[in-house]
Amino acid sequence: MKKTVLWSAVLAMFIFGGCSSKDPSIDATDDSAKTSKSGEGAAMVTDVVEEDVIVVDENAGIEDGSERTMGGLESRMQSVNFAFDKFDVAAQESDKITGNAAIVNGDASEFTIKLEGNCDEWGSDEYNFALGLKRANSAKDAMIAEGVDSKRIAMVSYGESNPVCIDKTRECWAKNRRVDFKLLP
Amino acid sequence: MRLILGWLFAAVLLYGADATIEVIKKVDSLPSIAVEDASVSFTDTTNKRFFRLLVSDLNVLTLFNVERKYSNTNYENEKVVRENKVMDYVLRYRLRTDDDSAFIADIKLIRENNVILKKSYRVKRSKMNPFIAHSIAYDINAYFGAAPVDWMKRKLIISRLSAPGESEIVIADYTLSYQHVIIKGGLNVFPKWSDSSRKSFYYTSLSSIRPTLIKIDVRTGKRTKILTSDGMLVCSDVSSDGKKLILTMAPSGQPDVYIYDVASTKYKRLTSYGGIDVNGQFMEDGRIVFVSNRLGYPNIFAKKLGDKSVEQMVYYGQSNSACTAHKEYIVYKARESTHAFSKNTFNLHLISTKTDFIRRLTATGVNEFPRFSKDGDAVIFVKNYKQQSSIGVIRLQQNKNFLFPLKSGKIQSMDW
Repeated sequence: MKKTVLWSAVLAMFIFGGCSSKDPSIDATDDSAKTSKSGEGAAMVTDVVEEDVIVVDENAGIEDGSERTMGGLESRMQSVNFAFDKFDVAAQESDKITGNAAIVNGDASEFTIKLEGNCDEWGSDEYNFALGLKRANSAKDAMIAEGVDSKRIAMVSYGESNPVCIDKTRECWAKNRRVDFKLLP
Repeated sequence: MRLILGWLFAAVLLYGADATIEVIKKVDSLPSIAVEDASVSFTDTTNKRFFRLLVSDLNVLTLFNVERKYSNTNYENEKVVRENKVMDYVLRYRLRTDDDSAFIADIKLIRENNVILKKSYRVKRSKMNPFIAHSIAYDINAYFGAAPVDWMKRKLIISRLSAPGESEIVIADYTLSYQHVIIKGGLNVFPKWSDSSRKSFYYTSLSSIRPTLIKIDVRTGKRTKILTSDGMLVCSDVSSDGKKLILTMAPSGQPDVYIYDVASTKYKRLTSYGGIDVNGQFMEDGRIVFVSNRLGYPNIFAKKLGDKSVEQMVYYGQSNSACTAHKEYIVYKARESTHAFSKNTFNLHLISTKTDFIRRLTATGVNEFPRFSKDGDAVIFVKNYKQQSSIGVIRLQQNKNFLFPLKSGKIQSMDW
């Protein structure tokens, strides 16, 4: 009999053990100490949270005159596209690199080159930003191989935050997996 | 026999506290609660909006079966509304303003027509009233002695993509009912609170020639440039005392994990793999957990500071590209499908470094940016599903998920 009771207790522990240990003991709450009809004074919680008032506009004061003068040269440079989840420059994209390097070492030789790595919409986390950076870095290596001075090249990854196409299609996602070539004074 | 019983009892306690084990609660066993509106000073829209906020917060507590029907009464009525007589508890609120035009909420928690809790709350501006609702829920939770929900009252910081190449940084409450745009213009991403006081935060500005890490004081707007790196620079985590940062940087085009000392402004490289190492997070045992593709696909690894060896932490999934850590628990994002030309699903999973259990926390859509609350009670994350971007809250012990959608734009990242 004693054993039966003990094993029942063990079984019960297993059944209920999986339940949360954070069940509120609501029914067991002793109200008596805190109960009143209505006479108890209400404790005022002064200023639950600090007010937010500051707004910063990062566009304020930016001059884009130099960007306009470089716009014509930038439009002659082609973006390099990448395969899904890949960051190596494919053979069919190498002509674009050659063409861009010719412009960079020719008409645009006085400017710094900014390579902007981009990804499709699958994830905005750091890994996706790193994938965009690896794409920019592959394009940088390819540009250096074409004779561009590495000191003239800066890189930035935008992850998925700068798409050229926002449709939910395979063509659109393919367009967004790219490195753009920009010029800086 | 006693020895066996002792062991079994210890085993049950151990498993009962393991967050990787799903808990299924019997909903009917929870006490019922109704919310009564007794406001007179505000418009019907404000009153009902506050009603919905309170009902939502009480639901998130998972202590009650919450009645969703709106009811109206006088604040001083000794009896509850007739249809609420069957309720175990009634929460009555009255919204008003004081002489300084501050927004005030008086509340009474009533049980069997007796007031068991009475309190008043105040914010300077009406638009901040969601924090009052969260504070009320927090106090009710504390009254019943449930596990603390400090995270409910905390401010979130979000980077919201508003257009290609443009974002805003927004301070919000966890339900996104309150939103204040603190930085607009340009592309600013990966905001992280600089310490528990939440008086300043770090973010990455991508508007200049190279990514720049900036710290901004939320009260004065003063910005301080911390670092610049070629290619990529992200503040991945801030130590609990705010003295150390884990950064992902790529000064030579190679993304690696670094540790940065705020006082000395010196940094040290922690990983040196030729692929991708990102998303470092502090663990309580002194290790750093991070994402790396050193096995040919993104996965979760850990290493001790100053140690060369790296330990693989997750053995499930072929693409685990984000993580957050609390004590022995790790929540990570795993890609469930690998399609270049169709929809992909990314789900969050919970593991314990002490057991082999894996618990899937989400089921559909793209779920990312998991962040543990400071006490480990909840995980907050970003969910993108069917053109809708939402903040999700997972209460681990209660096995409940809650979603709070963003009306416009897409959430790039967030911290709380």
